Amino acid sequence: MNDIDEQLSEIIPRLRRFALSLTRNPSSADDLVQACLERALSRWSDKRPEGDLRAWLFSILYRQFLDAHRRSRRYARMLEFFTGRAEAEPSAERTVIAQSTLKAFDQLTAEQRALLLWVSVEGLSYKEVAEILQVPTGTVMSRLSRARQALRQLSEGEIPRPALRRLK
Amino acid sequence: MISMPPDERDLHAYIDHQLSESDRRLVQTYLTNNPQAAATVRAWQQDAEQLRASLSGALQQPTNAQLAPAAIRQRLQRQSRRHLASAAVLLLAVSVGGFSGWQAREMTLLSTAAPMTDALQAYRLIAQQGLLPADFKVGEQGDMQAWLDRYFTQANRLPDLADAGFKPVSGRLLSTEQGPAAMVVYENPNGQKISFYVRPPGPKNFLLPRGSRTDGELQAEYWSGAGYNYAMVSPNNTPAAQLLRQTETF
Repeated sequence: MNDIDEQLSEIIPRLRRFALSLTRNPSSADDLVQACLERALSRWSDKRPEGDLRAWLFSILYRQFLDAHRRSRRYARMLEFFTGRAEAEPSAERTVIAQSTLKAFDQLTAEQRALLLWVSVEGLSYKEVAEILQVPTGTVMSRLSRARQALRQLSEGEIPRPALRRLK
Repeated sequence: MISMPPDERDLHAYIDHQLSESDRRLVQTYLTNNPQAAATVRAWQQDAEQLRASLSGALQQPTNAQLAPAAIRQRLQRQSRRHLASAAVLLLAVSVGGFSGWQAREMTLLSTAAPMTDALQAYRLIAQQGLLPADFKVGEQGDMQAWLDRYFTQANRLPDLADAGFKPVSGRLLSTEQGPAAMVVYENPNGQKISFYVRPPGPKNFLLPRGSRTDGELQAEYWSGAGYNYAMVSPNNTPAAQLLRQTETF
């Protein structure tokens, strides 16, 4: 195994975890990781920037996720147009009372999940995250703040559905 | 240097160890004197800890051999070859029929008259004449449905023809005027073949009602679902063909 492959192999479990947190489905997560690795390997020599390899791979994977997501939304809209119903997207306003942090985490937006995973779990710096998202560091901080508050509220079960709240 | 009292961003930066040592101490002192802010910070820290703990399991997934860098490299090489192979498929499709090349073209244009002509053509090329090698074989490489799902997300499931004695054995990707297509070949112990063919409905989104037609010695059952068009092709006048014709939904 050469040096590049060795570095990649160490990061693959992290990429799979990140992809899983985005897609919430193990087989599409692995497809995403595969697409990411294909892209990374085919652009290795000319595009690989200096710095943290993990951050670069996260950014490729995240971008591919967004592209696929956009495509599937377009596809869902097209289906809806032709068949009169949407098949792909589960409702964003699903009201499930979150009991645990993980459940709460799953209800955040994809970007919020990515942010929390990069910062809280993987320990990337704000600057690295800013580069991945291509926004200023200040923006990263305010989005992170919103993500943390949302996570907090969801784990406490404070969701906009008073009828379902347990009253003491 | 941050200003006092720290704003919310500073508190996040404190949690994430993104402050300088002197700023970190400032925030710490502030927190010891402000129990409410300290409680908020503590709650965020706990959320982060719980997140780390609950996501740590996801690092322990069994390895997926498909993701090994060496396997990815191999696949990249194969893909560039497949690119050439797809170009060859188009050429074949035009030249096989000789004069019928134009006829086939007209048939695609008038696709109301002859739906899923490409599925029949693919059956002849692959299942009957064996002109194109399989991209995927069951057994060596694993599960046929998983292979198909890689290319056609959310398409109808492969029909189960086990009761009729047919099992999926190989798959092949093709390019057509309507977009990428895949054909899965089923075989029974006597070597008879049935194909399952799937592709997008094309730029005009030509969706099909459930239907059936014969073309020479072949029979095609076709339908649309989940955004794709499908066909099942088999030699006609066989028990399996009759069974397919009687199937309302696949």
